Amino acid sequence: MSAIALYGFLAHGIIFGAFVAALPPGGRRRMLALAAIPIALATGIASFMHGIVGNPSLTLLALAVWQLTSLRKSPLAYRPALTLLAFAIPFYAMALGLGPLDPYAPGYQPLPLLAASLPLAALLWWRRLDCWLLILALDFAGYASGLFANLWDALFDPLLVLVALAVVVGQPFRRRHVA
Amino acid sequence: MTLPRWLPPLLFVLAVGAAAWRAPAPAAPEFSRAPSAAASRAPASFVAAMLPTAAPSAHAATLAELPDGRLAAAWFAGTREGAADVAVWFATLDAGVWSTPQAIATREGTAAATLAYVRKIGNPVLYAEGDRLHLWFVSVAIGGWAGSMLNHSVSGDGGRTWAPPVRLQTSPFLNISTLVRAPPLPLADGGLGLPVYHEFIAKYGEWLRLAADGRIVDKGRMALDRRALQPAVAALDERHALAILRDGGPAPGRIRSATSDDGGRQWTAASALPLPNPNASVAMLRLHGGHLLIAGNGASNRNELLLWISDDAGKNWRPAPTVESVADAEAEFSYPALLQARDGRIHLAYTWRRQGIKHAVFNEAWLDGGTP
Repeated sequence: MSAIALYGFLAHGIIFGAFVAALPPGGRRRMLALAAIPIALATGIASFMHGIVGNPSLTLLALAVWQLTSLRKSPLAYRPALTLLAFAIPFYAMALGLGPLDPYAPGYQPLPLLAASLPLAALLWWRRLDCWLLILALDFAGYASGLFANLWDALFDPLLVLVALAVVVGQPFRRRHVA
Repeated sequence: MTLPRWLPPLLFVLAVGAAAWRAPAPAAPEFSRAPSAAASRAPASFVAAMLPTAAPSAHAATLAELPDGRLAAAWFAGTREGAADVAVWFATLDAGVWSTPQAIATREGTAAATLAYVRKIGNPVLYAEGDRLHLWFVSVAIGGWAGSMLNHSVSGDGGRTWAPPVRLQTSPFLNISTLVRAPPLPLADGGLGLPVYHEFIAKYGEWLRLAADGRIVDKGRMALDRRALQPAVAALDERHALAILRDGGPAPGRIRSATSDDGGRQWTAASALPLPNPNASVAMLRLHGGHLLIAGNGASNRNELLLWISDDAGKNWRPAPTVESVADAEAEFSYPALLQARDGRIHLAYTWRRQGIKHAVFNEAWLDGGTP
């Protein structure tokens, strides 16, 4: 068993726990979420998720840990979720064969991508979005550790995009609830 | 808790630096120069025999020559293609006798090693590189073969024992739809170029560049239309290569082709070859003498297994002797694998009526029309 396989398996256990933590409010939600992690690892849920989704991105794992441990609102709010969707949907379409270019390939030799991230990081710092800056740093550190062959896989994954879609689609309902 | 204002950018800069340090920046690829060998003067020979049976249904053979000269074969077999009991089986040919097949990759073993659910496994590819014997094979968690992921394992003892397989990350969308069928080509930097293919929504060939340590360092697309798959590649020199692909479109099909003139970095669609293809896998080999050899099926069905030779780097093709041909259109002799051993003999393994794998060994004199 490789470190990469172990990462994917354990990360999916944590992500499953975070999904439980995101369930409608309840007094024992956090305890249930923490209990869900070993259950997911022991019953094959994490293995099944790992088989279907592949290795999750470090961004998704960081958001899952945030969901499990923080009382504050998730940084994946409406605007970042919409930004992710606007980037990821055409990215996946092209990577799956729409058009001649494969945007996934540059992730194997990502020096230009890393260079392009510098102005983005400056923008995040200037806007005081420290949380996203730290997540980006975590993603790059994960790539540097060898957990990911392709930089894109450290940054986002289809499950994260699905969560972003849920955030965007659910926004009008949340507004109505607040009103 | 509030972080100091300087801490997040400092951590970011450190992480970017570490990522940049790890990011590969390989030199322009070149194919490894093929060893030259004198043409054999041996009389024409052709011998064929079935491999030992491992399971009721067998398919997709692959061949490799071990450092000690033994021939190794792997294929997948089980109750039927796609069944849960399908395993990748492995046998070696020593002094004319095939060893008892051993299962070297199973659904359960792959799931245990990758800590991920696996529903079925399929197409294997063997490749001998010095003392290391590589095995790539596909696995599926959900859906059909279009949902395949690529796994890699290595043996350091000629196939007796294998390292646990590792799943390769080749696609951003659920890591699906990377399949393998033909062996890699050695690159001058010690790495490998592995022809793979994609078949989710669209079907096209792809090229994975692997570093000497096995890490993927580049990926390219063979720019054909969306109906060509299962590339088999032969290097013509250090820079040029020809890829032939299965025609996944409606019959009557022809063998599709693509070329590269930069060591496999980019691939350009070329004209389809004037050779039939009934939506079936093809194999190609550059013989020691420089000729190209293709094995594939006839126009309509898989009931003929044919060979073609090119004397001019793939510009023109002439038929070589027929390997199998029966009138029954339902009969299947398919999924050929070709290998020329260091002694000059040419080995062909193929699916025989889905009941087993057949192995034929012949030489260039037989290809030129000589009678055994």
